[in-house]
Amino acid sequence: MTDGVPARQLWRLHLEIRDHMPLWQQAMIVGSGAAAGLFISVCVLMISGVSLSALWNEFVVFIFTNPRNLSAVMTQSAPLIIVGLAAAIAFKVRFWNIGIEGQMIFGAIGATFVATFDIGPETLRLPLMAIFAMLGGMAWMALPAILKLRLQVNEIISTLLLNYIAFNFLLHLLYGPWQDPVSSFPHSEQFASFERLTSLNWGNLDFSLVVALGLVAVSFWLLISSRFGFLLNFIHSNPQMARAMGVRVGMLTLIAALSSGAFAGLSGFVVSAGIESRMTQSFFIGFGFSGILIAFLARNNPLTIVVVSLFVATLMIAGQSLQVFYQIPFATVQLIQAIVVICVAASEFFMRHRIRLAS
Amino acid sequence: MNQIPDRIDKAIAGGPELAPDSRFLVLSGIVKSFGDFCALDNVDFDLERGEVHALLGENGAGKSSLMNVAAGLYTPDKGKVLVEGSAVAIKGPAAAARLGIGMVHQHYKLVRPFNAVENILLSHPTGRYEKSTQRMRSLIAEKAEVVGFEIDLDRPVASLSVAEQQRVEILKILVAGAHIIILDEPTAVLTDEEGERLLTAMRKLAEDGCSIVLVTHNLKEALNYSDRITVMRGGKYVDTVNPGDVTPADLTNMIVGQSIVERPHPAENIGDVRLKVSALGTNRDDDARALDNVDFQVSSGEIYGIAGVGGNGQDELVSVLMGLLPAVRGHIHLDKQGDITRARTDERRGFGMACIPADRHQFALCGDLPISDNFAISKVLEGQYGTWSRVDRKKITGATRDALSSYDVQGVRREDQRAGLLSGGNAQKLVIAREFSGQPSVVIAHSPNRGLDVRASAAVHGYLRSARDAGAAVILISEDLDEIMLLSDRIGVMNSGSIVAEFMTPADRHEIGGAMIGHD
Amino acid sequence: MDFLINWLANVPGFAVPFALGAMGLIICEKSGVLNLGAEGYLLVGAMIGAGSMLTFPGHPYLALTLAALASALLSVLFAVLVVHLRVNQVISGLAIVFLAQGLTSLVAGKMGWTNKAFSGLGDINLGPISDIPVIGLIVFRQDPIVYVTVALFIVASYVTYRTHAGLRLRAVGENPEASDAAGIPVLSYRFAAVLIGGLFLGLAGGYLTVVVSKIWVDNMAGGRGWIIIALVIFARWRPWRALGGAILFGCIEALIPRVAAIGIQLPQYFVLMLPYAVTLAVMIWTSLSKDALSNDPSALGRPFVREERR
Repeated sequence: MTDGVPARQLWRLHLEIRDHMPLWQQAMIVGSGAAAGLFISVCVLMISGVSLSALWNEFVVFIFTNPRNLSAVMTQSAPLIIVGLAAAIAFKVRFWNIGIEGQMIFGAIGATFVATFDIGPETLRLPLMAIFAMLGGMAWMALPAILKLRLQVNEIISTLLLNYIAFNFLLHLLYGPWQDPVSSFPHSEQFASFERLTSLNWGNLDFSLVVALGLVAVSFWLLISSRFGFLLNFIHSNPQMARAMGVRVGMLTLIAALSSGAFAGLSGFVVSAGIESRMTQSFFIGFGFSGILIAFLARNNPLTIVVVSLFVATLMIAGQSLQVFYQIPFATVQLIQAIVVICVAASEFFMRHRIRLAS
Repeated sequence: MNQIPDRIDKAIAGGPELAPDSRFLVLSGIVKSFGDFCALDNVDFDLERGEVHALLGENGAGKSSLMNVAAGLYTPDKGKVLVEGSAVAIKGPAAAARLGIGMVHQHYKLVRPFNAVENILLSHPTGRYEKSTQRMRSLIAEKAEVVGFEIDLDRPVASLSVAEQQRVEILKILVAGAHIIILDEPTAVLTDEEGERLLTAMRKLAEDGCSIVLVTHNLKEALNYSDRITVMRGGKYVDTVNPGDVTPADLTNMIVGQSIVERPHPAENIGDVRLKVSALGTNRDDDARALDNVDFQVSSGEIYGIAGVGGNGQDELVSVLMGLLPAVRGHIHLDKQGDITRARTDERRGFGMACIPADRHQFALCGDLPISDNFAISKVLEGQYGTWSRVDRKKITGATRDALSSYDVQGVRREDQRAGLLSGGNAQKLVIAREFSGQPSVVIAHSPNRGLDVRASAAVHGYLRSARDAGAAVILISEDLDEIMLLSDRIGVMNSGSIVAEFMTPADRHEIGGAMIGHD
Repeated sequence: MDFLINWLANVPGFAVPFALGAMGLIICEKSGVLNLGAEGYLLVGAMIGAGSMLTFPGHPYLALTLAALASALLSVLFAVLVVHLRVNQVISGLAIVFLAQGLTSLVAGKMGWTNKAFSGLGDINLGPISDIPVIGLIVFRQDPIVYVTVALFIVASYVTYRTHAGLRLRAVGENPEASDAAGIPVLSYRFAAVLIGGLFLGLAGGYLTVVVSKIWVDNMAGGRGWIIIALVIFARWRPWRALGGAILFGCIEALIPRVAAIGIQLPQYFVLMLPYAVTLAVMIWTSLSKDALSNDPSALGRPFVREERR
């Protein structure tokens, strides 16, 4: 078929690499990708037996007309923002942190350790819990980071395997030494009021959103304004060149990876000391993927991370009521996120290529 | 060698009256553009049976693009391709092979872990595997004997020398039955002697009835080994001439448009020893010695040229000197700083060492990041342009604008446009602007003219000379012996990971060539 | 002694999913496509396998075939993304896993397949040969898929290393530009390799429900897909080393229920960590060895673009 064909008959698709594209066009393409993803998701939900009007009610009316639901979305977005930041910082140094859930678990374990053994005075209890959570997340990240830097062990697999190990360790604690003595359920005992993030008196919104927005500011400064962020851009785009210029790639990669672990640990603390007010055996589920998704869709920018996190939080809150009223499994939320990511990723093809019909 | 076979004279005299079948391959009115860039602008080319036809032009003139059209790698936007008189659309390399066209690219298309037989077998998947392997082996041996190539068929090609890999490539297209053979800059990676051997073998093939296209930027090769010469410039066809009818100066004018001749400017005042390397050694991943007992010294105000065939430890030497690869043996001594063998890259740069690497897109620039960031990074690392907590973008943009104009970097609309969009020459000027911005005392330049046109490479050489005249010690590593001879005040020859000979300038070209290939 | 025989007799059944999955992944990655979606293909295969058994009871082979086909269908999506649209292979692979987690949970929930037991595929019984002490139990009393797996291994490694198609497949993963110049349709080879990988992984997934558990629960692949990915790295993309690795993991998985059964008191959750911890240990050990970076397909993870300049 590929033999010499008379020139006149030749028609074929012709691909070209685009060197650059105006920002508004890029935004249009990503927007269309996201729209296509949402359209497919709506179709999936309708096939699953949720009518269009029900979807409209659940996703728009109930959330944006009811301050209670709106506040639930805001509360839910706090840990999402933090895991999004965690993933983004790691992405910046080309470190695929798939172990966010494991680091969240160890963050929560660190915080619960402080709470359970009543370490420090009551006024300092929350900051101490936060610090221990960061240390826990960091510690759980230390092994894969060092393995990657010293032995080139693939971090995607090592961080992921550590999720399963962390989860089994969590079960060991919750079915063993840290089981709630009051109810004998497999979760930790409830945190005391001074061990919980204070409510902001608007629905169930608590202090966690303040923590998250604080971290956004810190990350913005770190990634966009500071010299550290300037150098990370080079590691992100061409680590060999960065090394040749004298950037201490190994050191900065380690710092970024550990910060990513610390952020993830902190989000474990935020969920435990916020929404859940104790360490449960499922508080972390779904956050790892959502973190990666949020960072990917937001292009590692702390401000866009807030926007995407609000979207995912809406999805999660609406997903909870779909679960109750339409027997749609909660994992569908994950499905929708995956569909959107795939559509947006596929749309980027049109950002980098131009298709022409060549004669 | 300058004699032209009779039939070619007739062919040229005959011009348009030619019988269509005497022209193996005709490309006419070829247009090809990539985005906004027009690589080929209405180019004509034709190839006679049994001739060696040189396609001459400087880097970026469009020679390779034109031949990629003939080899089926590029689809032309416009224009006609005729093979043996009939119009064809060559839809891929396989289609080209079926039409008898084979091309040896500058970057060899070999699967490195496979041996020669497996590599050649890839294009000919017929019959049972075991049987066709046997058949292929004897076919290759037969063809190799015809051309006079010696080659080990069982070793992975990764372990063969560059010249041997080239032979595998040529055998591959001969086995495919090609009678139109396109060689893209075949001698660029060979020593002078290896190059002569190759071109003589190709002449022999032409006498046996094949047609050879020799894509080259080398005047002497074109004049000495070809029957006709087609010159291209800036993506356009210039002329097709007979080597007997033109002088080298004429050709140069056709290639460049106007004459640019670089002349040597020897150093005037060589100062004290700035950098001293003694018994330096490092290993490859497989523990083989990449560098072994390297000894040399460079003084301020001097250009020390290191000649040698590529892959003899040049890349490793640059890496060890810049602290990117640890020195397993030996010492590097820097005037004033003392022994810097264990110093980190950032420390060495702080001591005034600058580096222009051979692969600028991989090691010197971040294509995705703005030109201004690429310019500023060295100084940001030294703590300039703002503080640790805030990088001063305004200052960077201003400084970049100044540097771009003083180093004549063209094609920049905004300082924040991506560095990857710069052309080779402008990208190299940007690298030089950055590396020279800190008034370096040691400059390591590896193949600084690679991929540049004559004008840009003259400019780059000018910057190296002015750095030397300002008192820097310059180490120039290049596979291009012309570049070494032109710039160096002293020449070392690198072979198998060591400096095997040193010459004072003016040096004898043949002695240097001998040292480059001597004692393997 | 009984413990040992019982243990060994159980190993093949646990090793099969690892072996099939690793073989599929090797074929896929030999073509230069990094496939992190293994866990997703296992899940889809397992869910469809269970669903088919519940829909068409008594047809285990049909169920396994459907499982393989369903997973191949998912791999078509992945192949279009990474081969044709050149999307980052890491993000695509992860997205496939999460897509499959959500999809299997939704479909199985809606179809009412979750937590419903069925009778799957049993072991063969060759009469007297299967009754030979020790050997009979270990070698001749396995389910049929164990033997199919061995056969598939022989065929797949023969094709990969001893045929033109295999040579071309490996060339595409090592140097797509050279392969393209040799006239090999690079994108088609990659597409086909991803598809074959999907078939193998789907069969492995179907095996998990149809033969092993005989029930579907959400997320039941339990990280086996990731272990398979690590296994392929450990095997340095060599089929027979991967089979060895699969048997090693089969041994570990088969040990976990045995240990509990004979009443050894070990902290339960630490025992459950074992497969993951061993995988991690194996990865560290692999990276310490000398040939750590040898033999991996040079173009792994790199999309192929023909007309790219620079």
